[in-house]
This record gives sequence, C-alpha cells and structure tokens, in this order.
Amino acid sequence: MSPEWLRILWRSPGGRTGCLLIFLLGLLASFTSMGWLGQGWSAGSDISWGEVSASHWFGTNRLGQDIFDRALVATATAFRVGLLVTLGAIAIGACLGGLAGWRHDRWPDHCVMWLAGVLDSVPVFLLAAALAFAFGGGEAAMYLAMILSFWTTTARLVRAEVMRLRGQDFVLAARAIGLPGQQILRRHLLPNTMHLLLVQASLTFVAAIKTEVILSFLGIGLDDGVSLGLMLAEATQDILAGHLGNFLAASGCLFLLLLGLNLAADALQDGVDMKQAPS
Amino acid sequence: MKSDSTLRLALAVLLLSLQTACKDAADSAADLTEPKRYVHSLDGVPASLDPAQAGTRYAKFLVLNLYDTLYRYRYLARPYELAPNLAAAMPELSKDGLTLTIRLKRGVHFIDDPAFADGKGREVTAQDVIYSLQRHFDPATRSQGAWLWQGRIEGLDAWKDQGSNYEQPVSGLRALDRHTLEIRLTQPYPQFVHTLAQGFAGVVPREAVTAYGLELGRRAVGSGPFRLQSIDSARARLVRNERFRQETFDLALEGFDPERDQGLGLTALDGRSSPFIDELEVEFIPEDAARWSSFYSGLTQFTKVPVAQFGQVLESTAPPTLKPELQERFQLQAAPELGFVYTSFNMADPEIGYSEDPQRNARNRALRCAIVKGFDWTQRNQRFFGGIGEVFPGVIPPRLPEYDPEQDRGSTEADPAAARALLAAADWDAGNLPVLEYGFPASVTERQLFEQFRGFMEAIGYPRAKIQPLSYASFGDYYRAYSQGQVMLITSAWTMDYPDAENTVQLFYGPHRAPGANAASFDDPQFNTAFSAAATLPPSPQRTELYRAANQRVIDECAAITGLVRRLVLLWDRQVILQPDWAFVGGYAMRFVDLRDPAGQR
Amino acid sequence: MLGRFLALRSFYALSLLLGVTLLTFALMVWFGPDQTYELIGRNSTPEQIDELRAELGYDQPFWNRYGHWLVELASGDLGLSNRSGESVSTLLRRALPVTAALVLPGFLLGNLLGLAAGLWAAWRRGSLWDRLILGASVTGLSLSFLVIIIALQLLLCTPYGLNWFPARGWRMDSLGAYLLHVTVPTLALLLVTLGYNTRFYRAVAAEELQRDHVRTALAYGATPLSLLSGPVLRNCLVPVITRVLYSIPLVLVSGSLLLETYFGIPGIGRVTFDAISSGDQPVLLAVVTLTAALFVVVQLLAEFACRLADPRGRLP
Repeated sequence: MSPEWLRILWRSPGGRTGCLLIFLLGLLASFTSMGWLGQGWSAGSDISWGEVSASHWFGTNRLGQDIFDRALVATATAFRVGLLVTLGAIAIGACLGGLAGWRHDRWPDHCVMWLAGVLDSVPVFLLAAALAFAFGGGEAAMYLAMILSFWTTTARLVRAEVMRLRGQDFVLAARAIGLPGQQILRRHLLPNTMHLLLVQASLTFVAAIKTEVILSFLGIGLDDGVSLGLMLAEATQDILAGHLGNFLAASGCLFLLLLGLNLAADALQDGVDMKQAPS
Repeated sequence: MKSDSTLRLALAVLLLSLQTACKDAADSAADLTEPKRYVHSLDGVPASLDPAQAGTRYAKFLVLNLYDTLYRYRYLARPYELAPNLAAAMPELSKDGLTLTIRLKRGVHFIDDPAFADGKGREVTAQDVIYSLQRHFDPATRSQGAWLWQGRIEGLDAWKDQGSNYEQPVSGLRALDRHTLEIRLTQPYPQFVHTLAQGFAGVVPREAVTAYGLELGRRAVGSGPFRLQSIDSARARLVRNERFRQETFDLALEGFDPERDQGLGLTALDGRSSPFIDELEVEFIPEDAARWSSFYSGLTQFTKVPVAQFGQVLESTAPPTLKPELQERFQLQAAPELGFVYTSFNMADPEIGYSEDPQRNARNRALRCAIVKGFDWTQRNQRFFGGIGEVFPGVIPPRLPEYDPEQDRGSTEADPAAARALLAAADWDAGNLPVLEYGFPASVTERQLFEQFRGFMEAIGYPRAKIQPLSYASFGDYYRAYSQGQVMLITSAWTMDYPDAENTVQLFYGPHRAPGANAASFDDPQFNTAFSAAATLPPSPQRTELYRAANQRVIDECAAITGLVRRLVLLWDRQVILQPDWAFVGGYAMRFVDLRDPAGQR
Repeated sequence: MLGRFLALRSFYALSLLLGVTLLTFALMVWFGPDQTYELIGRNSTPEQIDELRAELGYDQPFWNRYGHWLVELASGDLGLSNRSGESVSTLLRRALPVTAALVLPGFLLGNLLGLAAGLWAAWRRGSLWDRLILGASVTGLSLSFLVIIIALQLLLCTPYGLNWFPARGWRMDSLGAYLLHVTVPTLALLLVTLGYNTRFYRAVAAEELQRDHVRTALAYGATPLSLLSGPVLRNCLVPVITRVLYSIPLVLVSGSLLLETYFGIPGIGRVTFDAISSGDQPVLLAVVTLTAALFVVVQLLAEFACRLADPRGRLP
C-alpha cells in the first residue's frame, strides 16, 4: 500500500477507527498464527459449558475448550480466508478486466464478459456449495468458490475504467507515439486503477469473511480448526443449553473485524471520490 | 435520544397489535365443531412416501399411517409384541418352518383415488400383498428394503434375474384365494413376521404405481388409518381415513400396564374405535432450537428434547424427571432407543485392520485394542448424551434377551495407562503409529465428536497430527467413502429394524461387509460360523449361546469401539392422550392418539 | 437497427444459458454428490448399487447425459425429483410463491426505507443526520446475516426472549398467520439490507444533487421536497431500476437460503440447497437454469427500462 493511501485513510475519523481495528485484530491474529496466543483452543478440559472465569474469559464450550482462545484462532482464520480470497479475486479480476477493457468489443472482451455473465448467473452460495461437494468439501473448494464468484465485480469495474482511460489524451498520445500496449498498460493504466482495486479489495475482504461464516455454518467450509462460522454453528446448540459465550465471542469478533474493514473501505472510497471530483 | 425511545415505543405497539390481531383471528376461527387435531413433531424430513423407499425413521413414521401392513406392534406391550393388522390372525407356520399361510381381513378398502378405474378405492386382496413384495425386486422401484427378503423367499430373486415381469408368477408367493396368502421361504427365517411389520411392507395397489410411478413418493394410495392431504419439506397434513376398518381398542390386549401408564388417560380409550383424531399434522423440524421453541410455545404437542436442553428440562437425570414448573404442562418419557452408537475400524485397511503379515496383524490388533482402551465412554455419555445413555460391551445392547449382564465390561472402561502399555508392548511409538483417518458428515456435533476423540487419543500418546479428520459434505458422500474403504474409523448409529438380536449381530457378519451393514468389513471365521448357525434358529438358549460367542469375538478382536444406547427424552402436552414410542411402535401409535375433553382444559 | 439489437441480445442470452447449464451440469452433476448412496438400503450388495446407478443414469457418458437433459429441457419437461419422486414443476410451483411471499415484504421495505433514508442523508449532506444515518448503515453492513438471524430468533421467538413469534414454520392460510410468520424473517432481511440500500441511494442522490440543473433550481427557490420527489428521483431512476432488477434473481435464491434453513420454510432456497447436498440432479438443474434465465431476462428488462427512463440513452 502506498503511503498516499494510508494518508487518505488516516484523514477521516472513520478511516482512523477502521485502521486501528484492523491493525489490532490483525496483530492478535498474527500472534495467534505464530503460536503466541490462543493455544488452548483445542485442548478440552473437565468443565463442559463452563462459566465465565479468570482463566476462561468467555467460558468454555461443550467440550470444555476455552472460547476466548477459539475466538482468537477463528479471527486468525478469518484473516487467512479474507487475504487469500481477496488476493486471488483481485488479481484475476484486474488481469481479466484490464484485458477486456483494453481489447474492448473484440473476442477477449466477449470471452471475459461471457464468463463473468455465466458465473454471475449462479448465486454465490449455490456455486460454493456445488464446488464444495464436487471437491469433497474442504478449505480449497471454499477458496476456489469465493474467488470464482468474486472476481467478476472487480473485472467489470476495471474493464469500465480501462475503457474510460483508453480514450483519454495521455493514453491516446502514448499510442500515437507507438508505445507498445504492454507498456501503456503497465505505466498508465494500472496505476490509475490502483484506487479502484484498493476499494474493491476491502469490499472483497468483507464479502469473503461473511461468506465463510455462512458456508461454515452450512457445513461446507473448513475441514479442521475453528472459524467464526463454526463457532456460530456451535452457538446454536449452546444457546439451547443457556450459554451465550460462543455466540457473543464469535459475533463480537466478527462485528469488529467487519466494522474495521467497512470503515476503511468507506474512507478509501471517499478519498477516491474527492480525488476524481476535479477531473 | 427522545426519538429513539419514541421509535422503540412505536415498534412495541406495532408488534403488540400484530400479536393481538393474530390471536383474535385464531380465536374467532375456533368453534365447537372444530376437528380434533394433534400436532406431532419429527426431527427429520422424510424424502419419499413410497413404502419401498421408507428407509428412514421419518418416512417409516408416515408410511405406517398411510398404508396397511400385515402385522404391527402392540401399542403398549413391552417387550414388543407382534399383532395382526391387515392380517386376520398370526400366520400359520408349517412344521418345517418354511411355509406361512396368512389370511387377510375382508372388506378392507384402499382410499378413493383417481388411479383406480372409477376413482373408488377397491378391496385389498392377497394379490396386492404379493405385488407389494414383488416390486421391491423390480429395479425401477428403487427399493431400499429389498434386503429384508433377499434370498429368503422361494423364486423371488430368480424372478428379478428374469427381468421382473409381473405376469410371471413367483413360486414362493401365492394367493390361495382373494384373502389368503401363502409364502414359501428358502430356509427358516424366524424374524420373517417382523419384516411384515416394517414400513417397507406397506401394501400398495398396482394401479397407483402404474398411474404415478416415482411420483408415488409424494402421494399415498393406501388403506391405513389416515389419508395424506399435503406434504412439503416442513410438514405433512394427514386426515382420518373415514373408511378405515372399525376395530375396537382393547386396552388389556394392547399391553396396558396400570403402573407405568398411570395418569396418561389411556383408560378412556378402551372399547372405542380408532383412529381417535380427525387430523394428524406432522412438523419436520431438524433444528434443535426451533423444535424446542415450537413445542414450548404450543405450536407442536410432542417433541424429542435436544440433548443440550436436558439441563433446562430435567430436574434429575437418574431417573430422569421433569422440572416441577414443566410438570403442569408436559408429560415425560425417557426411553432407551433400540439401537446404539459405535465407532468401527475398517478391518479391510491393512494399516489398522487385517494384514497379510501375521506380525503386523497382531500389532494392528494391539493398536485397535489400545484405541478402544483409550476411549472414554463416560465422558462421551456426559458431553453428548446428557449422561443418561447406557454403555455396554459388544454389539448386543441391554434389553435384548441375548444381552449378558455378567459380561466383562473392560472394553468400555477407559484406561489410558493400559492403552499406553498395550502400544508399547506392540512396539508402537509416536514415530511409527499410522495416521488415523476419522470420517464424519459435516455437522457441528459430528465435528465435536471428532475433537473429543482426538483428545482421547492424545491422552494415550497418539500424536495430534496423526489423527486426521475427513469431513464429508453430505451423509451420502460419507456413506460412499466408508463403503469404498476410504475411512479408517467409522462412527455411526444403528437403529434396529426389529426387536431381535439378529439385527445387531449381523452388523459384523462377513458376507454383510461394505457396502453392506458390516461397515467394518469384519470377517472372522468363528463369528461367521456362530452367526449362520444362529440365523435360522428361533429365540432359544442355544441361539443365545451362539450370539454371545459371536459378540465376544467382536470384543476380542477389537473390531469396534462400542457401544452406547442413547436414551431419548420425549415430552408431550398433557392434553394429549399418548404413550409415545421411538422404536418399533413408532408411527403405529398415531392411530391411538386422542385429545382430552376440551371441557376439562385448564 | 432494433432487429439486429434483438438478434444479438438473444444470441448472447442463449449462449449465457448454455454456459450456465454446462457449468452446473459439470459441477453439480458430473462431479457432484452421487445420489446412489442416499437412495440405497441398509444391506446393499455391489450389484444393487450398480443397478441403482444404471437406474439413475450414472453409467452414461457425460455428453449423453447433458444432451439428454437439454433435449428434455427444450421440450419443457423438467423431470421428477430423484429424492422424493415429485415432479419438479410441481415442486417449483409450490416453493416459488412461498419464497416470494417470504422475501417480498423485506425487499420492498428495505428498498423504500433505504431510499427515504438515503435521500434524507443526501439532502442534509454533512449534517448530524447524515453522519448518524451513515454510521448506522456502516454498523448494519458489519453485521453478519447469520448473527442477525440467531439474535432475532433468540429475542423474539424463544422462551428466553419475548417469545412473540413462532420460531419456525410457514403458514399463509390467513393474513394473521402470514404476518405472524413473516415478521421476524422480514426484520432480519431489513436489518441486513438496509445498510447497503441506504448507502447506495445516498450516493446516487448525492451525485444528482450536485448537478448544475438541480443547483440552479434550488437557487431559484424550488422546495426541497418537490425537487427530491421530482427531478432528482426521476434521474436516479436508472441506477435504482438496475439495482432492483438485478437483485431479484439473487434475492429469490440465495437471499432466502439462510432464512428458509433457519426458520424451516419450504421455499426455493431450501429446496435448492437440499438438492445440491443430496445430488438431486433434476431439481438442481431446473433451479439453476431458472435462475440463470431470470438473470438474462432481468438484464434485458433493465436495459429497456433504462432506455425508457432516460430517452437520451442510445442502444449500445
């Protein structure tokens, strides 16, 4: 991320809050991934559905596992899912969208748009469920499904932006002096779509986390480990037993994470609008 | 802030007015001529209503109410007793035990349906019973119940091999006249009459199959006590079959136990003609929370209480009693399920089961026995079955006459130290232990069962990374995977089809190996000999000996971690006159349900 | 000109439909769950399994099965569900109205309230109201649908909360029963969509309000209400119509899946999910094709609607 975007983010109070939230949760998640935190997520204890205590801040679940530790690991999982899906979807979306926009109304454009049309016609959950079943469940299928569903929006936006830029003077000039297409794409078009990609990235991140929750709840998400969706699925049982720990911990983490991302996305979007307004 | 409270007030008013509006509507609709309606709930959804596909508890429940079977189980008699249903009496058995003669009741009619020539339901005849058994052996039926009769009825399997032509007679199935049926068996089959009380044995008219084909899964043309009004994935509505034969309810004959059935109101039924209710509504609610809320708020009148709820519902667990504040509204029954949960090893997998190498074979056995020793049934019972399940060794659960209360319970008692010793003695260590692949269909509870199992294994020194979960998106996928031997540890539940030990012991009979019911693919010569010798015997001390010997082989070979009989907590509204049963009576109980006189309400 | 446009459009629509069916067929049928093991009995032999596979057509090569199904589809025959034996068209006829009745109130209210709040915020851009509305909608965006459903059910439908509404089920036999069953799902749908809708309408309106003619009108003393309900609203129509139309197919299927699952409502979302998880090929293909067809129709409609609303727009 270039410092310019950080500045934009930092300018508004919402952006600042968002950044702080993401940073804090990200820090906790990375500490957890590195094994410094949340190590009690899997070990059972003797107290099934234990009460809140000094050693168990959110109590324990049915198996006596510490809910707080599980929430930490689940947050780390959310970051992993979000990052992987975002990277995949944005990369594919940018490449195919750029290609389609550059070769507008020629066969690469038609192919990409047709593919996007086909994928958009199948609702995300159905596509994800179908992939999950086709691959026999598991994490890879979940990532693939989300990337396949999410790249199309980015591609459409990038395509439109590239089409707009292609008609602008500096690109026309570059073409007139015979600069090869590749170079124009790299030097003029990609930097100018960067802002768009950033906003799309934060929105895709949000969508990925939300989708993971629902897929895991439906039983077609993670294989092993723990995620916010799995915790919520467990919570439906726990609520019956009168224990809200799982529900509160998971929905709390989920809310803070999504709030941070949404605030950041907003601030970025505002920055982009302001930057574009004069032109 | 002010507007916030205004908003809240407005919302509350809106919701309240909505509520009263609905209550008013409901009250005005209620008048004295309202039909008697009972609302039941099931924890799953039936896929098909075709008796040939009544493989699940849920489908069976409905089929038994929509179709007639030759025999049924008595409402209240325990141990379970067979009684004639469509048949006029119990079958007459020839001396060699191979020929059964069954007489049908006269004047029993199918319900009216456009499938019949004039739209009028015709009389049920012996030929219909024959047809209904035959169609299990017609591939187009997609029968799930053919296994009950496979190789049992003379000429039936050959009939199938010759192309399932209904014009061709089957030598073992003959109609002596319109109302008399003769069945010839290939060998004595003491459980045969039980198979005629299954949902699979529902009597279907050929006209309906011709008219509807596979669509029979969503219709019902039978002669049972109820007719189907509508069905979708959330509920089925059944109404009383006006033409159902008039039979007097005989309390004593049905097995009334004054002590056990005290206060249920059953005495009021004596001498009346069933079914007693006009409408039977069955709600399919797989989600625990929703099933409980629906019951608690009176939308349904019966529920299986989710295990997570036990703490909120039960005052004590031994014996299970209801909390005082609930006693006013509800009746409780905590009955053991007939069947059990267990985890079997895939014996066909050389990593853990049978091995060509005798030394490895012995080490594998030690490994399995160590895993069995490391498994803590007490904790499993506490965490997942409310602590009221019954743990027993082997595959013959308590309450079957063949169960041996004196049997050594060592195989059900956790002893991590002994397990470690077993491993060490067989040269197993963290480095050379095989990776265990534990399969389950994806669901919260199944995943937690796995995590608990992994915890048990870690306690006997099994490296965590060597216990791998294999989660499957659907039960069908899981079933396929373990049937094809891809899963090393197979956790499943067996619900008995009929109250006879044969039905559980067969789970480890070699010829029943995967994809059959013997998921472990256990193939032990001693076991097989004992089982096949016992299979043709009626219940007797000799048969008991054979079954116990077979059972001991499963334990000695450590072919499975077994077992636990779940105890189900059933609750129903005090307004309902009912003695529910989750096992073999099941759907048969619905014809005997009644509601207390509304005048006596509250 | 119009003829060529229509021809091109229908060619595109057809190719899209073909693509979707091919994708679905490959994913959900060829690689999807094998229904054999859902349908066999307890003690099955390998021969019985083969028999059933043949009965289900699983032994046929891919292109045969796909081609066969396309022919059936073209003749208007959707087939029978493998799971229940019910005819797929009956199944859809029963499930679709349920889903429509379930999501329509939430969808309409969500858009109307979103429109109102969005216009208001855009009008008072930068004010306390604007910031409050924006803040609330960001909060709404950050709530997961699942969390909302669980919380609402807990609060409104269980003995632990107010217990005013049924925890599950669906009845439409009277208005009272319908309202009773539809309220909580509608609230959930509102909560989850209101944030998105408000922000969307606010952005659209804010852009419009900045235009010169609007500013001029304001300067000449046009009242805010007449402007908001008149020219501003009319000019916002294009993005609004597009958005509303495009959300229809998705709202109908995915929007209702969670609600239907959680509240035990026999609508199309649940039917579809069950079909996927059990590999019920006829149902699955029918639903996906229907969704895709709806999508294509919606695309065409959106294009026409935009042309009507904005006469300056020309054909592409």
